[in-house]
Amino acid sequence: MSYLELKNVFKSFANNVVVKDFTLDVEKGSLVSFLGPSGCGKTTTLRMIAGFETPDSGIIRLDNGDITQVTPNKRDIGMVFQAYALFPNMTVRQNVAFGLKMKNTPKKELDERVDEVLEMVRLSETARRFPHQLSGGQQQRIALARALAVRPRVLLLDEPLSALDAEVRVALRGEIRRIQSELAITTVYVTHDQEEALSISDKVVVMEGGIIQQVGTPEEIYRSPQTRFVATFIGTANQFFGKVSGKKDVQTTEHCLVIEDLDGFTKGQDVVVLVRPEYIQVFTQQPERSGCNVIPGIVETITFHGAVTRLGVNANNQRIVADINVNETEPVALNQKIWLLFAANACKVMAVGE
Amino acid sequence: MKKQVLSMQSKKERTGAWQIILISGFLFYMFIPILSTYIFSIATRWDRTIMPEGYTLEFYGKTIEASYFFSSLRNSIILSISTIFVSLLLIVPTTYWVQVRLPKAKPILDILMILPFGIPTVVLALALVQVYNPTPLGHSPFLLIGAVFIYSMPFMYRPISNALNAIDAQTLTEAGQSLGATTAQVLLKVIIPNIFTGIISGSLLVFATVFAEFTLTKLILGARFKTFPLLLVEYTRINGNIAAAFSVISFTIAWLVSILILWVGSKSQGDSAEAMRPR
Repeated sequence: MSYLELKNVFKSFANNVVVKDFTLDVEKGSLVSFLGPSGCGKTTTLRMIAGFETPDSGIIRLDNGDITQVTPNKRDIGMVFQAYALFPNMTVRQNVAFGLKMKNTPKKELDERVDEVLEMVRLSETARRFPHQLSGGQQQRIALARALAVRPRVLLLDEPLSALDAEVRVALRGEIRRIQSELAITTVYVTHDQEEALSISDKVVVMEGGIIQQVGTPEEIYRSPQTRFVATFIGTANQFFGKVSGKKDVQTTEHCLVIEDLDGFTKGQDVVVLVRPEYIQVFTQQPERSGCNVIPGIVETITFHGAVTRLGVNANNQRIVADINVNETEPVALNQKIWLLFAANACKVMAVGE
Repeated sequence: MKKQVLSMQSKKERTGAWQIILISGFLFYMFIPILSTYIFSIATRWDRTIMPEGYTLEFYGKTIEASYFFSSLRNSIILSISTIFVSLLLIVPTTYWVQVRLPKAKPILDILMILPFGIPTVVLALALVQVYNPTPLGHSPFLLIGAVFIYSMPFMYRPISNALNAIDAQTLTEAGQSLGATTAQVLLKVIIPNIFTGIISGSLLVFATVFAEFTLTKLILGARFKTFPLLLVEYTRINGNIAAAFSVISFTIAWLVSILILWVGSKSQGDSAEAMRPR
């Protein structure tokens, strides 16, 4: 059941359309991420939900009520900002109590609620401190507590972890997900970090140029990208441009590729074949199987990524990246000739222009 | 190599010497008139010798005995404080509104706030008198408050604008609104407490400026509303020593106010920068 609903929302700033025909249903209690490069319209969309921007056209509904023209302070929507935005003149406790005070909450209930959310973010001991006496991660947890104290109908998070160190970022995103699940609060999370979006979301909305590219679960987005943008923006994908040459074949200028399924494509059509680096096997000797889906190349770069090592390979002047697991593959050296092999079902084909 | 070091050393010494000459020249230029005024206000006679022939405090006694001393002091304080109130009421909400809702208008406001420096006070006063003379406002202290408000506007605007810049007023406002506060509530409970030091600095600057204001008061109200500077100028024609004593009192008030500004300024700078530093 849709709880938060955006329908055909458009927004432009000075003739520059930043959000185009945005339609999305967010289920109650779910966490949805808006993911995309900067300038893709994700933050503007979030700000329209919060009420800080008004759509040029379209409708925003919350719990079946039209909130498109409702002022931000009457929407019952909590927001956490990238820059924390804690009130510097107030203590942690006063910050968290601010929203409740604005709603004239009775003193006893106010105290209970403040204690409850401070405990939830595990920072009860900081209640008497001022924001500047806390670390960035702590400040953002207080900002989260402050937004949650008023029990908003929707929680919005605008790149909440961007200003933090990598370690704190990973820890805090886990915290956010835990609290979100505990409270089952409908949440919209804006980020440009794909790992962050994939790891905490129920659904991911990939945006580019103000348009939704794809909506899906993190797995769907990663495994079945619908557009070339999604395939290359989420994770890494090698791209082979060519023409459909047979029932299961694609011919590029240098290589021949076998694809599991080419239904819906016509012979001679321009297509691009996408292969993720982790689906590519690396051989130091010429494999027995030769022909299609076997590409020889020279190792140009070796980058250590911890669990895997990424090879940059020059295959007839096309750069291909392949991930190898050091334990499973023979050692590879720079400038060594290797063979790359991938299965037909590892290939994802898209018409060029998509 | 050695030569180079030597030449650098002598260069360094030369700059040092120049600095000392420049700074002492500046200090001499600044302090001699003030020091002379102080000495003159306690000198019995000082026209035949290099230093005064004797010292006395009788001129200070005479300032207090002067018939308009307390009323002019009161008038100056009323004028300064009323101007501060008008400035706060008009400039704080306007600057805030422009910062948060109309950032594009900020350059216009910035230019508008420099204009008072470009308009000679004589021109401002005569223009106002001509326009308002036929109305009841013509020779009222309210017109004077309006005039000194315009004249002192930049002194209130700058510190407030800087303070608003330092706190990211836009995001704080949005945070307040998302928590259910109206814009007025955000202004009162969040923004003003966080730019308070800017408000204090602005108020003190306006106080100091308006307290010493002469031209506008003289041309708009003349003898009808005698302020402290008007009384001082009057006494320069009657008795130099008493006028000097008046000057010293005026300086002292202005200096006390300046010290207060410096103190608040240094405190606020530390506070707001510290509070807003992301970690």
